[in-house]
Amino acid sequence: MIPVRCFTCGKVVSTAWDEFKERKAAGEDPKEILDSLGLERYCCRRMLLSHKEIIDEQYPYQ
Amino acid sequence: MEIVFGRLDERVAQFTLSSSSVAFANSLRRAMMGEVPTLAIEDIRIYDNTSVLFDEMLAHRIGMIPLKTDLSRFVRKEDCTCEGAGCPHCQVTFTITIEGPTTVFSGDMISDDPMTGPVEANIPIVKLWEDQKLVLEAVAVLNIGTEHAKWQPTIACGYKEYPVIEITDQCDGCGMCVDECPRNVLEVKGQTVRVVDGKLEACSLCRLCEKACIGTGIGEESAIKIDTDETKFLFVVEGDGSLSAQQIVEEGLRYIRSRSDTLVEALQEISTEGL
Repeated sequence: MIPVRCFTCGKVVSTAWDEFKERKAAGEDPKEILDSLGLERYCCRRMLLSHKEIIDEQYPYQ
Repeated sequence: MEIVFGRLDERVAQFTLSSSSVAFANSLRRAMMGEVPTLAIEDIRIYDNTSVLFDEMLAHRIGMIPLKTDLSRFVRKEDCTCEGAGCPHCQVTFTITIEGPTTVFSGDMISDDPMTGPVEANIPIVKLWEDQKLVLEAVAVLNIGTEHAKWQPTIACGYKEYPVIEITDQCDGCGMCVDECPRNVLEVKGQTVRVVDGKLEACSLCRLCEKACIGTGIGEESAIKIDTDETKFLFVVEGDGSLSAQQIVEEGLRYIRSRSDTLVEALQEISTEGL
């Protein structure tokens, strides 16, 4: 799962994840998506850019 | 001492603090970050968790959710008349009862106090599949940022000294400093360089313009000098939504005042004791 807040500054970034994922899959430039989502600082931007969702792969083993 | 707001939104405040000192500016910053109380979830009782996340991880995620706080209605647990037992004046209980397949969001937390709830309702907590279940009870209490970062009302909170840009007569308007400035603070006007109107506060004090000026072979002294006004500060306070930006600044200042009053009282006590 995407972390609730940015590790560095504490801004809530998890709310932006679904939209970021969808728009990125549609081929939009990540820079523009992050700008429009209001993630200004690079600490918050890397939270989404470097995130890998693995919860979908974990669930059969629970 | 004077505070002039340049921008004041629900979440973000930008202001200039003038006729002050570095010591006061820093104590205001620290007070806003670490001494303004907010609500955050502290204790969690998990009745059933068959999700893919461990209980501890779930508890941590729920703890990070910012909660809308009305400071006039709550007191810290140790100051409460219930003496730590837990009552509607010092704690709020949330419950989550959900079965998969679904994603649990912060909006699914049911509060026992209708005025208190998560700032944003769409924070994902955990994803549940078929036959997975989540039943828990979470207790939010009032505390301060120095105890744990989840009680910090601010996210980005800081200040810089006010920039003072001085351009001497030696400037020939070559524009090297204008090209170098990463924040486009400068412009060439006629035979000299000047600060773009309203852009002075954007200066990051990087001094790349000074280096560029010396690089043109002007001599030992740069024609542009970047200095700071040590009595004036530019603040940026960004809240997480639990309190409004204005409230954070006010509460921070109130904290400094109450602490200074305590100090004065203590000093008076000591000085009269000796007589």
